[in-house]
Amino acid sequence: MIQAILDAVSLGGVYALAALGLGLVFGVMRLVNFAHAELITVASYTLVMTHQFPLVVSIVLSVVVASLMALIMELVAYRRLRGSNPATMLIVSFGVSVLLQKVYELVFGALPRSASVATGLTGAFTVGGVSITTASVVTIVLAVVILLAMGYLIERTKLGLQLRAAASDFQTARLLGVRSNRLIASAFVISGALAAVVAFVNVVGNPQVDPRFGLDITILALVGIVVGGMNSLRGSALGGFIVGAVLSLLNVILGNGRVYAYSWMFVIVIVILLVRPGGILSKFATKERV
Amino acid sequence: MTTRLRLQELLGPILIVIAFSYVVGLQSAQGLLIVQSTLALFVMVLALHVFVGNSGVLSFGHGAFAMFGAFASGIVTTPSNIKENSLQLQHLYPFLVNLNLGIYPSFVLAIAAGALVAGLSGLLLMRLNGLAAGIATFALLGVAYNIFFYNNRIGPGSQALLALPPFQFIEEPVVLTVIVMLAVYLFGISRAGRTLRATREDPLAAPALGISIMRVRWIAFTLSGAIAGLGGAMFAHVAGTVQVQDYYLPYTFMTLSMLIIGGGASLWGATVGTLLVTGIGQILLMMEQQKPILGIVVHIPNGTRAIVIALSLVVMLLWRSEGVTQGREFKIGMPKLRK
Repeated sequence: MIQAILDAVSLGGVYALAALGLGLVFGVMRLVNFAHAELITVASYTLVMTHQFPLVVSIVLSVVVASLMALIMELVAYRRLRGSNPATMLIVSFGVSVLLQKVYELVFGALPRSASVATGLTGAFTVGGVSITTASVVTIVLAVVILLAMGYLIERTKLGLQLRAAASDFQTARLLGVRSNRLIASAFVISGALAAVVAFVNVVGNPQVDPRFGLDITILALVGIVVGGMNSLRGSALGGFIVGAVLSLLNVILGNGRVYAYSWMFVIVIVILLVRPGGILSKFATKERV
Repeated sequence: MTTRLRLQELLGPILIVIAFSYVVGLQSAQGLLIVQSTLALFVMVLALHVFVGNSGVLSFGHGAFAMFGAFASGIVTTPSNIKENSLQLQHLYPFLVNLNLGIYPSFVLAIAAGALVAGLSGLLLMRLNGLAAGIATFALLGVAYNIFFYNNRIGPGSQALLALPPFQFIEEPVVLTVIVMLAVYLFGISRAGRTLRATREDPLAAPALGISIMRVRWIAFTLSGAIAGLGGAMFAHVAGTVQVQDYYLPYTFMTLSMLIIGGGASLWGATVGTLLVTGIGQILLMMEQQKPILGIVVHIPNGTRAIVIALSLVVMLLWRSEGVTQGREFKIGMPKLRK
C-alpha cells in the first residue's frame, strides 16, 4: 500500500517534470512540442552510450545534448512558425518527432540499446517492515528538488518573471521590452534540461532505450498539460502530476483490468476537457468551446 | 474549394486517379499491390479531408474509426473454420465466430461501424475546439488502440488476423475510391459543407448568422468516420491481414502528411498529396533496394525513405502551410488573374 502511494507520487513527479518542460515552451510560443519525446530519447541514448564514464559526467553530457537539440529545433524549425495557428505548429512538431525517430533508427538501430546506468539505485530497502524500492524514493527526491528549483526560477528570478509574463500574454510582454528570441531560446534550453532529468529517471528504471523511448511519457505529459491548464506553468506541472499519479493508482485499483488503465485515463481526460476546456486551473472555462 | 458543381473539378481528379491506377496497376503484381494500398490510404486521406480540411479542426482520432472498420470487416470475412481453430481467436465471442459475410457486405458493416463510433464520440468531442479538440481526438485513438490491443473477445488482440480475402481485381478498389470521391465532392458543395467552411473561416461570424458550429461539425465528423471505416477495411483487404498496430501512429502520421502536403482544403489537394507522397516513397524505396530508376542505380541507406517523407512534411508546412495546391481545386489551363 505504502509502495503503491510512493509509486504514484514518483510517477506523478516524473510526469510533472515532463509536463513542465512542455508547458514552458507552450507558454512562450503556443507550441505543443510533440518532439519533446525525442529530447528525452536523445538524453537517454547519451546516458546509455556514456555509461562507462562517471555518472556525473554522463548526466551533465545528457543535459547538454538535450538542451542543444532543443535549441536547434527552435532555430531550424519552430522559429519560422511563430504566431502560426497552434494546430499547424502541433503537426509540424509531430513531423519533427517522426523525423528524429527515424534518424535515431538510422544512427542507433531500431533495436533497444541497453546499459546499466546508476546500478546503485535499483535495489530495495525495508523501513518498519515495509519494503520500498530505492528508485521510487530517489525519483521523488529528485522531482521535488527540481520542481522547487523550477519554482524558484519561475517565481523569483527575472527570467522567470518574463516566462510567466510571456505565458499569459506574449504580445504585451514584448511591448514591455521582453526580448522574444532570447526568452524563447531559454525556454527551449530549460525544457531540454528537464527532458534530460526525465530521461535519467526513466533509464534507471528501464535501461532499454529504443528510438521511441520518450514517446509514451510525452503523450501522457501532453495530456497532463491540457488537463492542468495550458496557460499556466503551475497548471502544467499539476496536470502532469495528476496524470502520472492517476495512472499509477489505476494500475493498482483495476487489478486484472489494468491493461485498460490507459483507456480509463483517456476517458477521464475527455471528461475533464468537456467540463473545463481550458484545464483545471483555468479561470475562463468557455473560451475554447463551441 | 468551391460552392457549386463544376464538372472539371470533380472529373479531373477522378480521371487522374483512374489513370494512375491502370498505368501502375497493370505493370506487375507489385504495381497492383502499390495501387491497392495507395487507394486504401487515399480513401482515408479523403476521410480526413472531409473533416479536417472543411472544419479546420485537427483530428488524430480517425485511426480509431479505421481500426473499427478494419476489424469489423476482418472478423466477419475470416472463414468460420479458421476462427474456430486458430489459437489467437479462441476467446472470440461465439456469435462472431459463426458470423460470415462476403467482402462487400463487410464493407457496409465497416462503414456503419466507423459512422457509429464517430457519431457517438462526436456528440462529446465536437463541443471542443482548437488544441483541446486535437488532444481529445488523440485520446480517442489511444482508447481504441488500447481496447483492440488487449481485448481478445472482439479480435485477435495484439496478434494479426491473417486469412482475409484480398481484392481480386483492380476494379474493386478503383470503383470504391471513385464513389468516395464523388461523395466527398458532393458534401463539399452541399449546404452543410459550405456552412462548415464558413465556420472554419470565421468561428465568430458563423454563429451570428444562425449556424450551429457543433451540428455541422458533427455531420462532417460522422461522414468522415464512415469513410475512414471504409478506408481502414480496404487497407486490411489489400494484404489480407489486419493488426492493430497498422492503424496507430505511423498510419495517422502518413495519412495526415498526405493531406497536408497536398493541401487539406480541396479534393484536388488530397489527390495530389496522396499521389505525390506515394510516388516519392516508391522512388526512394527503389533506391533503398538498389533497383534501377530509368536505368540508373542510386543507392541510399535503409530508412532514408521515412526520413525524407517526414522532412518533406516539415518543410512543406514551413514553406507553404496550405500545401502544394494551396487549397485550390483542379483546373485546366492558366489560372485567371484576379481583377
